[in-house]
Amino acid sequence: MATESAVTTAGSHPFATGADLCLVHNGSLSNHNIIRRNLEREGIRFQTENDTEVAGAYLTWKLRSGSTLRQALEDGIRELDGFYTFCIGTKDGFAVVRDPIACKHAVLAETDKWVAMATEFRAIANLPGAENAEIWEPEPSTIYIWGEE
Amino acid sequence: MEVLNLKKIGVRGVNLALHNMPADSEKNFEIRNPQGQHSIACGVNAPLSVEIKGHVGFYCGGMNKHAKIVISGHAGVGVGENMMSGYIHVKGDTSESAGATANGGFLVIEGNASSRCGISMKGVDIVVGGSVGHMSGFMAQSGNLVICGDAKDALGDSIYEANIFVRGKVSGLGADCIEKEVRPEHSAKISELLESSGINADAADFRRYGSARKLYNFNVDNVESY
Repeated sequence: MATESAVTTAGSHPFATGADLCLVHNGSLSNHNIIRRNLEREGIRFQTENDTEVAGAYLTWKLRSGSTLRQALEDGIRELDGFYTFCIGTKDGFAVVRDPIACKHAVLAETDKWVAMATEFRAIANLPGAENAEIWEPEPSTIYIWGEE
Repeated sequence: MEVLNLKKIGVRGVNLALHNMPADSEKNFEIRNPQGQHSIACGVNAPLSVEIKGHVGFYCGGMNKHAKIVISGHAGVGVGENMMSGYIHVKGDTSESAGATANGGFLVIEGNASSRCGISMKGVDIVVGGSVGHMSGFMAQSGNLVICGDAKDALGDSIYEANIFVRGKVSGLGADCIEKEVRPEHSAKISELLESSGINADAADFRRYGSARKLYNFNVDNVESY
């Protein structure tokens, strides 16, 4: 249930698949090969065999085709099969989404000044103001977006 | 009352202090600055009273025996997992798999619990003041899971002989889980658990869910133990 590729620096996160998109993934995708082949036919180029790069490339392709980040992620929930909690950064947006089974952990925290996402709360605990942040666990198949909308 | 500052002595320091107490000690501890660290107050084996001031990470109070642990904050994955006895009270929300495989004791969650609450529970009683996520009570074998709010999809999937009581809406039942009659002994149990938890609700508002006994090999000769 962990990201699929050789353990090399090329396979390490985050993956930047466009000038303005990067993605971190906890989990694994089971249909990344066929999606990679389809995206390659659309002219998207890949640098690794990693499944996460496919998720990033998929979103980059969707955004280039005119989708909003939300639309791209809605399509992603339908088309990307596997276990995932994704954290996505774009030029002016930040998003979190989990698959319908949601067994890859995630926690979100938000204050007036910042929003943070982590697998474990201890990564957030020491941020300034974390003690008063609103903290919650993102729901399965639910898209959380800040900034771009 | 002894104060343990986790920021200073770390999780090992905190747990060592708790483990070093004699088996019959009822000493009070307060754990400060938990910082979301994992495995806080795991494996306690004495009737201590432990209050944790803040949010905790994964597996807090795991394998607990006898101790009363109160968490004044949220709890991460697997709070009270495999607890044997004692009492764990979470004042905030909990992440996934709260009370997983717990054999006994009492787990109270004032807020919401995420998915798989009470997964494979083996005798623990759990009261959730809010709602629970999907697949709660998955393969639950024994004990009572009382949910004052709603339950998401696949409640009680592949359940054995635990009882699930829900006051709110159930999005969907899992395989082999059905609604069952609430008999007087069930109402009495719900009332008892609600009263012990300090959560205000009326036992008459709850519905009961349990096993249809079609998925596992139910032996009628053992009916007395179910």
